[in-house]
Amino acid sequence: MPETNTYNLTEWVETYTDDLYSWALHKVSDAELASDMVQDTFLAAAEKLENFKGDSTPKTWLYAILNHKIIDHYRRKVRQPVRVENQVFSTFFDEGGDWKRERRPQKWGEEEEEHLLDDLEFRAVLKECLDALPEKWNTCVQLKYLMNKNGDEICKELDITPTNFWQIVHRAKLQLRNCVEENWFN
Amino acid sequence: MKKIMHTLFLSCLKATELIEKKIHFGLSAKESLQLKMHKMMCDACSSYEKQSVFLEKGISLDERKEFSPDDLKKLKLAINEKLSEMK
Repeated sequence: MPETNTYNLTEWVETYTDDLYSWALHKVSDAELASDMVQDTFLAAAEKLENFKGDSTPKTWLYAILNHKIIDHYRRKVRQPVRVENQVFSTFFDEGGDWKRERRPQKWGEEEEEHLLDDLEFRAVLKECLDALPEKWNTCVQLKYLMNKNGDEICKELDITPTNFWQIVHRAKLQLRNCVEENWFN
Repeated sequence: MKKIMHTLFLSCLKATELIEKKIHFGLSAKESLQLKMHKMMCDACSSYEKQSVFLEKGISLDERKEFSPDDLKKLKLAINEKLSEMK
């Protein structure tokens, strides 16, 4: 391949694809999507190559592009209009805001909790329950960890208000908790 | 009576909402006190808080997925193809 720039993109592809890909996969948990993002990252890099001044390392520069794409992806997901899911609340609470009897959280036995997270079967149940959440909630619940950021930073990043964020998380958590209880503790 | 209780010590709906706020953002002094009072009287919400924190831990576990060297090779090839199309 002819070298059109001082920077050899082919070499970068060879050197950085592994790391970029595992990073993307870690962040979006979807192999196909992660591949696409890494591909787009290199395409964007090729287009903007003259902007690369060499005052950061190629690696840093590529990661910056990739991270931008990851955040964009989540931003698009979360930006979809907020439906007020009040039926979630009426599933769990009566009109006065008290737990419905059959939905009250039961005791789980805390002494087991620490081992539970090492239990692969439990992790599988948790994962299934996460996947069962409406997509947007799942995104919000996971986002905090995916981006290694706290609530405030995520809100800024996604352009949603903190109130919006924890209300989404609240609804998601009610369902998640109930799902785990039904499928593991009962 | 119930209404007064809720105004003073929150409903379970409101209490669980504050628990999530606490986990992700932190509470004001007033909210924190309200939640504490509520939990003193409500086993279900106390359990909810413990379980919610526990679930957060579970969600945060690194679920790095395995991928094969073959897939990576394919990916690199695909990228290089696209790149050469651009030129």
